[in-house]
Amino acid sequence: MDKLTFYAMKSPEKLDRIANYLAERLSQDVRRQRVGFVMIAMEALDSLLVSCHAQSLNLFVESFLKMVQKLLECDEPDLQCLATNSFVKFANIEEDTPSYHRRYDFFVSKFSSMCHNCVADPDVRARLRTAGVRGLQGVVRKTVSDDLQVNIWEKTHMDKIVPSLLYNMQVGMSEELESPKDEDHPAVVAETVFRDLVCRASYGNINSVLKPVLLHLDDHKLWVPNDFAVKCFKIIMYSVQAQYGYIVVQMLMNHLDDHSKQLPRVKASIVNVLSETVLIAAGGSVGPSVLEVFNTLLKHLRISVDKDISATQSPDEKNFQEAIINTIGEFAKNLPDYQKIEVMMFIMGKVPPSSESQPVKNSKDVLLQTMLMKTLLKVATKYKTVLLNNAFPSTFLDPLLRMSVVSDPGIRRLIQEIIHTLLDRHDNLLKLTTVRIPEQISTLKLTVEKAQRQDIMFAKKSGPLFYWHLYKNAEMQNNKVDNFETIFCTLALMFVEMNGDEVLIDSFRFALGIQHMAKVGDLPITHKCAIHAIVAAHLNLISQLTAVPALCEHVAVVIARRKESAPFYLPAMAFNRKNTANSYPEKDVVLESCMFNPDTISDALRNSGHDTSSLVSPFMPQNVIGFDQVDLKKSASDIHSLNISFSLDSRSSSIESIRKSVGEEITFESLKKVLEMNPRAKEEEQKERQKILEKFTNGPFEDIVARSEAKSEKFANKLNEILEKIAQPPQAAEPLSKDGLTVPIHNIQFPELFIY
Amino acid sequence: MEDYKYLFKVVLIGNAGVGKTCLVRRFTQGLFPPGQGATIGVDFMISTVEIDGVKVKLQIWDTAGQERFRSITQSYYRSANALILVYDISCQPSFDCLPQWINEMDMYASTKVITYLVGNKSDRVNQREIPAHIAERFAQQQDMRFLETSAKEADNVKRLFLEIAKELTQQARDNEICSQYSSASDLGATDTSPVGNFSCCKGF
Repeated sequence: MDKLTFYAMKSPEKLDRIANYLAERLSQDVRRQRVGFVMIAMEALDSLLVSCHAQSLNLFVESFLKMVQKLLECDEPDLQCLATNSFVKFANIEEDTPSYHRRYDFFVSKFSSMCHNCVADPDVRARLRTAGVRGLQGVVRKTVSDDLQVNIWEKTHMDKIVPSLLYNMQVGMSEELESPKDEDHPAVVAETVFRDLVCRASYGNINSVLKPVLLHLDDHKLWVPNDFAVKCFKIIMYSVQAQYGYIVVQMLMNHLDDHSKQLPRVKASIVNVLSETVLIAAGGSVGPSVLEVFNTLLKHLRISVDKDISATQSPDEKNFQEAIINTIGEFAKNLPDYQKIEVMMFIMGKVPPSSESQPVKNSKDVLLQTMLMKTLLKVATKYKTVLLNNAFPSTFLDPLLRMSVVSDPGIRRLIQEIIHTLLDRHDNLLKLTTVRIPEQISTLKLTVEKAQRQDIMFAKKSGPLFYWHLYKNAEMQNNKVDNFETIFCTLALMFVEMNGDEVLIDSFRFALGIQHMAKVGDLPITHKCAIHAIVAAHLNLISQLTAVPALCEHVAVVIARRKESAPFYLPAMAFNRKNTANSYPEKDVVLESCMFNPDTISDALRNSGHDTSSLVSPFMPQNVIGFDQVDLKKSASDIHSLNISFSLDSRSSSIESIRKSVGEEITFESLKKVLEMNPRAKEEEQKERQKILEKFTNGPFEDIVARSEAKSEKFANKLNEILEKIAQPPQAAEPLSKDGLTVPIHNIQFPELFIY
Repeated sequence: MEDYKYLFKVVLIGNAGVGKTCLVRRFTQGLFPPGQGATIGVDFMISTVEIDGVKVKLQIWDTAGQERFRSITQSYYRSANALILVYDISCQPSFDCLPQWINEMDMYASTKVITYLVGNKSDRVNQREIPAHIAERFAQQQDMRFLETSAKEADNVKRLFLEIAKELTQQARDNEICSQYSSASDLGATDTSPVGNFSCCKGF
């Protein structure tokens, strides 16, 4: 052998003939089944191959490959393995001369088929499969760098190579538990080769690797359960050149598109894989078109929701929606902050516009809104707020707040939660989610920083907007305990995050405002208790945080009084989910001694050097003005009613005094009684208004005028009836009586009016 | 030094369990393995036959019938010179699936491929579900040659492969410059692939 090698090296021109001879001998031996000679011939070929110079190899290789093919065509596993080993050795040789007429089609086909070998003997099978995988790797190595070679990335080849590798990996995964991880296990080798393959793929041909992968996963039904799919894509993501990561993501998305009609379970699995992939791709997961990615996912969410209505809500569909929402969250996490805001606005833009004149009735819309809000919440949690005015650009804040007063309590809660995560910069959120009244606020371990100037500016500009919507929120009839908790949390966070002087006063004013509402409003007793509890908790919080002794004292005293005589006004009781009807007082009587006194608070604040001038004007009237302005524009009937109430007020000649001292007990207590006495009258009134409004929006102008005159007369009478007994301050009557009717109109109009 | 003059690739397709592997085994090794398991992926056999004094080598690719391997088996169609579509004469569903298979052939195989329809298991006289004339008519409609075989009884198996070899040889002789012919068909193949690539690129 040594002699042969030496001779060949000395006279390379003979190499070709040597090879020819060897090849002939070998094919004879094969035919005659003389395995021993075959081995020797192969060994000779190998050593010649290794020891000779690359330039002279070209022709020699022809014979060599012919031999390998010959051996591969045999049935004998040993010979096949032998051939593969030789081929792999050959593949490792770097050739510098390109070869024009070499063809590897057969090798790809044969090695692929070896990968699927299923000889009964497991050892032989494993050996053959490993050989097949190695052979494939050899082909890829050999061709990938050679420009003149058949393009190995072509579909015909990849369709054989990739599934073969995946098949072995997949089989290995199911067997893994039994067989120890040895390096020659086909699954292990296949995985290595697969990594190698993916790693070599460039921009143009990453596609041709991924297509067969997706197809294979489809064919072998490997999406559900998706362990293998996840594993595959993890391998892909870790091996693929980082700059192409987004293509993988994109391919998966397209795949999802193709499967939009599939079972939700399959889709959910695909989305899960997607989210795992995104997790790895990190920064590079989102390609050039950021919004496109979100658009696609949101589209699927929408499709899913649409379908949901026709079918019953299946848990699968729910899982799918969950999965999408999570994935969107993962995507968003990888974006820079400014893009997160963009994405949030984008999602906001996808919210179906709730019809203006009536609250959303369509359950589909509600569901979609809920889903989108959940998505928004997911994105929002990934956002790290630095400056509030960046987190809440008015184009985002307005629709968000508008959404915050929709009729569905679930959505309202979600929106409050979105606001929470966006507001919360100091990780106080968890400490404030439950409504509590700790004696020492320090036990909450809140992190409070002095707000920055920009935040104060933001608070000045948007604070009232927040408060107004919170007020509306608190007023909702269908609030749940959760809703109240979130309201409290928003309130507290707003105070903690925007803790300027102005904000302080606003905060107090708002607290007193809702206390007032709870006293006079037409709400179920449970709601009232909850609101009182919120007020107590909030005042406790801010009084201690501002550390005005007189204030703290007042708050402490009131709380102590409540503990004694009205425990249901405290959070421990009001937010106890185990409450039954018996837990609440039967009669809805406001215990004035248990209320927070605006005057005392005002005094206390003034004495500590705060400017309380704005505190003096109660919370509601200011808004009612805005409210009325809208109404004046909108509806003549409202003008009438307004006029009537004003005239009534002047008749009773106490309008001024009442306006100023909202908190006067006699007025409100009796007012409330009146309101309670006439629920039916109120209902009728509301119906009437609804009718009028419909006429207004639909009918011709003259008609409207005539009708409204007639109606308003009737209306005036009715109002008279109601109001005769007592003077009614407009600020209290208006919002209550118009509750359901005017809210939507108002919501549309209000923000613009209010900001400027 | 070549021990054959022509090399042809023959691919067997058809539903799972119709006896493709047994046909190949019977032909190449002359045995009928009872209890043959399902083929996984693709199996490969080689056989050299003599047609009119010329040695012809047949590369026989035996594909898995199972649906899950469809994507890899499809990739073998393209280079085939002959396709053998097998069904089981005692199994109606395997016959019903034929149009589906023909569809696949049209999609993936080269246009010059010659196709055979083979009804296997003709030894099961009592369980026959597909009368021969129906299958024959179907084959005529589809422009395919038709044969009924029995791998178990070695009936018609040899004839099938010999006929294929004969026809392919004839074809090759007719186009005397066979190599040119095959390169032309290769050209056709490479011509179609860029189109395929192009359609993938639309994703971007």
